[in-house]
Amino acid sequence: MLSYNSLRIVRPFRALLHPNWLMTNRQTLTCSAHCVSNNFPKKDTWQRQNNLKPTGNERKLQYSTYAASSPRNYCTGQFNLNCWNCKQPLDQTPAFFCMTCKAVQPPEEDTSLFNIMDCDYKFSMDTRKLQKRYLHLQRSLHPDNFSQKSVQEQEYSESYSALVNKAYHTLLKPLSRGLYMLELKGMVIEEGTDSGADPEFLMELMEINEALDEVKTPEEANKIGQHTKGKLAVLTEEIDAALLKGELQSAKALLAQMKYFANIEEKVKEKLSEFM
Amino acid sequence: MAIVSLRNSASSLLLFSRRLFSPELKAQCLYHIKVVDHYENPRNVGTLDKNSKNVGTGLVGAPACGDVMKLQIEVDDHGMIIDAKFKTFGCGSAIASSSLATEWVKGKSVEEALKIRNTDIAKELCLPPVKLHCSMLAEDAIKAALSDYRIKQQDKKEKRVQATG
Repeated sequence: MLSYNSLRIVRPFRALLHPNWLMTNRQTLTCSAHCVSNNFPKKDTWQRQNNLKPTGNERKLQYSTYAASSPRNYCTGQFNLNCWNCKQPLDQTPAFFCMTCKAVQPPEEDTSLFNIMDCDYKFSMDTRKLQKRYLHLQRSLHPDNFSQKSVQEQEYSESYSALVNKAYHTLLKPLSRGLYMLELKGMVIEEGTDSGADPEFLMELMEINEALDEVKTPEEANKIGQHTKGKLAVLTEEIDAALLKGELQSAKALLAQMKYFANIEEKVKEKLSEFM
Repeated sequence: MAIVSLRNSASSLLLFSRRLFSPELKAQCLYHIKVVDHYENPRNVGTLDKNSKNVGTGLVGAPACGDVMKLQIEVDDHGMIIDAKFKTFGCGSAIASSSLATEWVKGKSVEEALKIRNTDIAKELCLPPVKLHCSMLAEDAIKAALSDYRIKQQDKKEKRVQATG
């Protein structure tokens, strides 16, 4: 019981961080409570409720509870899904919340991670926009916001929040983003030996790895790190060009090269932390 | 009073976390002792002169995990492998597989070395299915080294023919 209480202390802090939090939370709570009591709400009840709602500031606050409030999400997709809670049709894909009863929705399994993060299916990406979107989504979907809600909603928020995490981390790094784009096209880099690898390229990798293994100063490690960064930047541009042209096979070969350099980059970081 | 309640909550938190995390610890997957042994005391790490006619060098990479492996063999005039060295930059299983591969090829003839299969390496090291590709990498490295050696020997023969002819 005590530990539970100490966990609950977090909540007021969250409220401080997010000035609208208490307001919005209370609003969603009353709405969902209403929804539970009327599983099949009559149309006039809802109209009445809508009429009761003042416009202006209130409406704005209400919008902040929605993760997907950007106009792009009101796209004309398939609207055949209904809210699990109030059974009203969901008018967004992906639907994070029901517009009618505000209940959090279960994530759809086949939703693309690009869709979730509201990004175009492109290799070049504005990572700052991605991060903003990530924080915005997690602010409304994080399980912490649902500790007072039904078990069902807690579960959905957990799985949605985990999916948003996965989407963010997959799309953040060029390597995982590129691999995911190939995966969407039904392509994977097979396990096992790179039979088509250029021996000179493998030799180059071997030499960089050996040099990194023998570095004695952080400066030497940094030098290799800079070289690797340069290589990765060039590869990123080449992959972007290949994917734009739809040349999936060459994109795949370039992504394989990128994996080797990404590993070296990780090892440089490890080395540098050893020196600290 | 405050301290007491703090200590109470701390101890209950500890209990709470222990109960939560203990099953995870038990389920943790560990490397087999043989893999750990090869990883901690790798056999035959090093480099042979790649320009020597008696040395075959095999260089392979695994694009899915980004591992690179170099395996070299030195063959005497009777076609026996007298020395083998490796350098692997990759996971523990890849290092163990290549370390074991160098141990196995030493003292074998070129033909015998060709017969080493990745399944044998995987069996010896008790590799889990997700790590089978590491043993495949070692087998391919042996083959690459042997084929490099053969190409060098053929060149040598051709040169000899040219010299006598």
